[in-house]
Amino acid sequence: MMRGVWGHNAVGWVIAASLLPVITGMVLVQGIDAVLRLGLCGGVILAWQVVFRHRLGVPMTPTGAVTAVALALLAPAEAPLWQIVLAVSFGVVIGELIFGGWGRGFLSAGIVSLAFLSLSLPAASFDAVGLFLAIAVAPAALILLMFGIVALPVLLASCAGFALVMWGAAPEIDLLATSGGLAFALLYLVADPVASAVTPLGRWIYGGLAGALTGLLLASAASATQSVVFATLLASIFAPLIDQGIIMAQTRLRKI
Amino acid sequence: MFHSFGHGLNISLRGAPEQQVSPCNNVGSVALYGADYPGVRPEVLVAEGDMIQCGEPVFRDRHRPEICMTAPVSGQIDKIEIGARRRLTSVVIKSDGAQPLVFARPDSLTRDSLQALMLETGLWPALTERPFGKIPDPGSAPDALFVTAMQTEPLSADARIVLAQAPEAFAQGIAALKCLTDGAVFVCQGRGDDLADVDDQVQIERFSGPHPAGLPGTHIDRLFPLKQGRVVWQIDYQTVLALGVVLATGSLPETQVIALAGPGVAKPRLIRAPAGVRLDDLLAGELTAGQKSVLSGSVLSGRQSAFLRRKHWQVSVIDRAQPKPTRVRSWLPIHSAAERPRPVIPTQALARALGPKLPVVPLFRALSVGDVETAEKLGARGLLEEDLALASYAAGGDVDLGALLRRALDVIEAQA
Repeated sequence: MMRGVWGHNAVGWVIAASLLPVITGMVLVQGIDAVLRLGLCGGVILAWQVVFRHRLGVPMTPTGAVTAVALALLAPAEAPLWQIVLAVSFGVVIGELIFGGWGRGFLSAGIVSLAFLSLSLPAASFDAVGLFLAIAVAPAALILLMFGIVALPVLLASCAGFALVMWGAAPEIDLLATSGGLAFALLYLVADPVASAVTPLGRWIYGGLAGALTGLLLASAASATQSVVFATLLASIFAPLIDQGIIMAQTRLRKI
Repeated sequence: MFHSFGHGLNISLRGAPEQQVSPCNNVGSVALYGADYPGVRPEVLVAEGDMIQCGEPVFRDRHRPEICMTAPVSGQIDKIEIGARRRLTSVVIKSDGAQPLVFARPDSLTRDSLQALMLETGLWPALTERPFGKIPDPGSAPDALFVTAMQTEPLSADARIVLAQAPEAFAQGIAALKCLTDGAVFVCQGRGDDLADVDDQVQIERFSGPHPAGLPGTHIDRLFPLKQGRVVWQIDYQTVLALGVVLATGSLPETQVIALAGPGVAKPRLIRAPAGVRLDDLLAGELTAGQKSVLSGSVLSGRQSAFLRRKHWQVSVIDRAQPKPTRVRSWLPIHSAAERPRPVIPTQALARALGPKLPVVPLFRALSVGDVETAEKLGARGLLEEDLALASYAAGGDVDLGALLRRALDVIEAQA
């Protein structure tokens, strides 16, 4: 039997490689600060991966880079470094490694880390990441869609859900100023293949839920990053339930 | 009716066979493997050194003695290998090119006479029953019969070219198969002219698209899904051809058309060879330079074997991956075995890999952890190993889903 190409490692490396334009954009916008934070988060994640690999045989994965970039990009500038280290550790260990590594859990480590950080520092202002980064995310989105790692229905449904709520609630927000963070979160956190629903219809529901919740939270005057983080956290928690419901309905239909 | 299959994966490999049938090379020996007949407990009917004619029984099922497997060539029994727990591993027959056995043809075709003929000639075991994929019980009848007259596995033969060799035999075979069922006979083929005559029982169904558009599992799910209590039989076109030949001439054809293909074959083409042929004989002088892996079957569901296995109509030769030099000091040596199998990532490739409309990732997970109950709820009953080969491939090949499915099916069948 021949081995296919879309194994755990191959998918992980494609995701990591797709981050390159995003990292370039981030460094161009935020300068040396971004490099430092990225290095710190990456180091902490690598350390935890080595510990779990060594003690429990949990496979290491290059997708830790997504978590590192998410933190470096979206964490508030005034957050002390030890808080970031704590948040990354919590996210990577509780969100991913204790389940057996990337692919066995049901949440994305980046989302758990950012949620932790945002609960720890409720008053901090999460930076808005602007249009330049949204442009940098576009090639990454193309790569991930072309390789079939990100599901198009999730992206479309979340955009649709978000747009619908925005149109209904019409909050006064400068969407352009936050588009970079939103685009990054949509591609890497909402559409994370591991954290999203897996049935075809479930993907639409999941994406719509995440997008609509983001819009609702944004309308209730939360920051863009916080909105998308908590919306995705909630949607990811519901994703297995959505799948289960759809499978049950389909099984019943098939029997008739 | 035309069905376009939008899912599936195109696996591009060099060495697609030239769709032209060339005659057989020198055939030294052939083999029948006991393990190729799931659910059969073989009882060997010959001894080493016996002379045997093509069509004579070699072994039969201990539980259902009317089901026997017959010799694909005439010759001498070279070797009988018995494995663990006294189970038959293989019977090797050295071909001598003598005349095949001539069977008495039935005067009129009825269900009983056709079943008797198929049992006697050893064509009966080519029928596969769904659910569970066993050889059907003689005397039973399915709710529908599926004739698969297409192949979409990578590097496979074009069924139309093979059938063009003996169109009357195929038509005669189809006409005979109508006796086996009161339900419909679905002839599933690719694009193009009808391969069989349509009547009130025979239906032509056209499928197009990438693999697995040509698998019977896909066709059955589209046309006659296995709802409660339904039983479906499937049969491949080469056996239907053989049945037609038996009905016309009284003896089994000694060869089938096999695709000899892959990046390691110098002149990839279709070739006539007996079932179970020794691959070394078949490939003598055919390979390009370098280390090769020779697979009986396709690159998806094939396996390394000395002889061509049952239900394999292609030989795939791929370049062998160079074995990695063993590192004496790995960076993180502890638990390296615990890393495997790695978790499955739900990519689009995996989502497109299943023919039947079933949730592939939940099914994958249920089978991986041995959750038979959930797997059954998700529709595992209607599947066979071949249906999951592409999903195993798409997920990186760490897990052999076919083997896991077989284990689950055995449990479901035992409980039923």
